[in-house]
Amino acid sequence: MTVKELCEKCGFTAVTLPESDREVRGCYIGDLLSWVMGRAEADEAWITIMSNINIVAVASLTDVACIILAEGVTLEDDVKNTAETKGINILMSGKAAYETALTISEFV
Amino acid sequence: MKELSLNILDIAKNSVKAGATVVSITLTETDNMLTMAIADDGCGMKPDFLERVTDPFSTTRTTRKVGMGIPFLKLAAEQTGGSFSITSKHESDFPDAHGTVTTAVFCKDSIDFTPLGDVISSVTTLIQGSPGIRWVFTHTTPKGDVTLDTDELKAVLGDVPLDNIEVIMWIRDYLKEAYAEIA
Repeated sequence: MTVKELCEKCGFTAVTLPESDREVRGCYIGDLLSWVMGRAEADEAWITIMSNINIVAVASLTDVACIILAEGVTLEDDVKNTAETKGINILMSGKAAYETALTISEFV
Repeated sequence: MKELSLNILDIAKNSVKAGATVVSITLTETDNMLTMAIADDGCGMKPDFLERVTDPFSTTRTTRKVGMGIPFLKLAAEQTGGSFSITSKHESDFPDAHGTVTTAVFCKDSIDFTPLGDVISSVTTLIQGSPGIRWVFTHTTPKGDVTLDTDELKAVLGDVPLDNIEVIMWIRDYLKEAYAEIA
């Protein structure tokens, strides 16, 4: 399933969708960025509550399909702009990480 | 990173790459603050690069498009309510006094404060990896200080190289004992 379809099916908010047709395969949850950098895999959906600019860099390095911000976390405009420029998809879920993962588990 | 000692390792490696001959690692603790300063006399950075260095998309590495050592340290400090700063003088502008100072201040009371971790391993790893550099390590705490200056060791060791495994083991034990005394 593509990031765009996942966003619609799960009722998430699209924050940035520069690469909306990327396929999502699997999921990783984590907030310690250095840890995530070594463990998240390409094409996964990465669920986190972190919202600083470094998440865009970590997503770029790991080549995840998208970031899903849990618990309604919002982003500063400069983070959004960088994500658009770097081709990083970011969705926002109002639910906690566990419920967010359960929601997407049907589709990925 | 799960321990600040890993951040020390990461930042000090930048000093090694910058061709430093002296690197000072200074930890200064009060009851509720920890200041970490890493100073070197390496080639330094030009103002335009210095400006971008906390940006996770700038780097000296060519194998990937982002370098995360400095952004992660900045985040680790700021998430405790502390601060981060980096100053640098490039050798082309300051031929006699160039180098970089990276400083991170942490509020130890914050729940997001990352523990210092195994700083002894970081120091011995750095000495072993770059025995030609003069390493000056100072950890000041309210209960006392731990200090190590590899130039003082070299004066005693004579021809025995610093990266000799027995010397490294001795440094490790020395630091352990020094920390035990201020525990």
